[in-house]
Amino acid sequence: MARNNLDNYLPLTESTYYIMLSLLEPLHGYGVMQRVEAISRGTVRVGPGTLYGALTMLEKEGLIVKVSEEDRRKSYQLTDEGRELLKKQVQRLEIMAASGRAAHMAGK
Amino acid sequence: MVKDRVTRFRWFWAWQDEKEEAWLGEMSRRGLHLASVGLPCFYTFIRGEPRNMTYRLDYQPYTKKEREDYLQLFRDAGWEHVGEMAAWQYFRKEAAPGENPEIYTDIESKVAKYKRLLGYLLILLAPLWVILIIQFGDGVPYPWLSGIKIFGFVVGTLLLYAAVRVFLRIRQLRRL
Repeated sequence: MARNNLDNYLPLTESTYYIMLSLLEPLHGYGVMQRVEAISRGTVRVGPGTLYGALTMLEKEGLIVKVSEEDRRKSYQLTDEGRELLKKQVQRLEIMAASGRAAHMAGK
Repeated sequence: MVKDRVTRFRWFWAWQDEKEEAWLGEMSRRGLHLASVGLPCFYTFIRGEPRNMTYRLDYQPYTKKEREDYLQLFRDAGWEHVGEMAAWQYFRKEAAPGENPEIYTDIESKVAKYKRLLGYLLILLAPLWVILIIQFGDGVPYPWLSGIKIFGFVVGTLLLYAAVRVFLRIRQLRRL
């Protein structure tokens, strides 16, 4: 299947960004909720409604895949496409953070 | 003896889900905990100790296959699935004082919920209007037909109004 231009997905929402970040390795839904809270240092919490919507969308778009199932809990992982998208998002965030920092310093 | 099961009748419109959540929470704080939802506007409660329950309604028309994954996520996050009514999913969770648990934690996903609802309302609405338009051109061949027309017109108007209210809710959320 021909893929959309990945840039069309950008920018990711903060929740989707952290969800994808936590799926660099296989993880089930509940693990994603916990990891998002941990890696965002408590700044982002993902409720089950938000997570279900994100997982459904990401899977449909081929950005994540189901890798296993244990105790009725499915584990997901990023696809190559998903990794590529995440990389692009990180680049954007780096520019954002760097320009913000520079402006902040200048303003000081 | 106090009855331990209580049925209440209350009507909520499709755009009043947050009002319904608040009402169910209020009932729990008075010791009446939702036992099941079935028919629209009939709520069965079980009497118990007052508890600080947060109720949340999701609009999620899932397939049978998706159902387990969906419910498992909510269970893992500590939400109890109380029941469902026409794709409305009723969840609850006991909350500590001052705590306000949410199933949707960002605006975008909340908007997506109302978009699903809006889509459903529009699907219901479409054939109704087609029928009405065709019939209005016909005159009234049988007297009973005008009754159906009036009924269809009322239902159509209500659906349209509901769709507009849900649409406005989406707009309001997006402006936040």
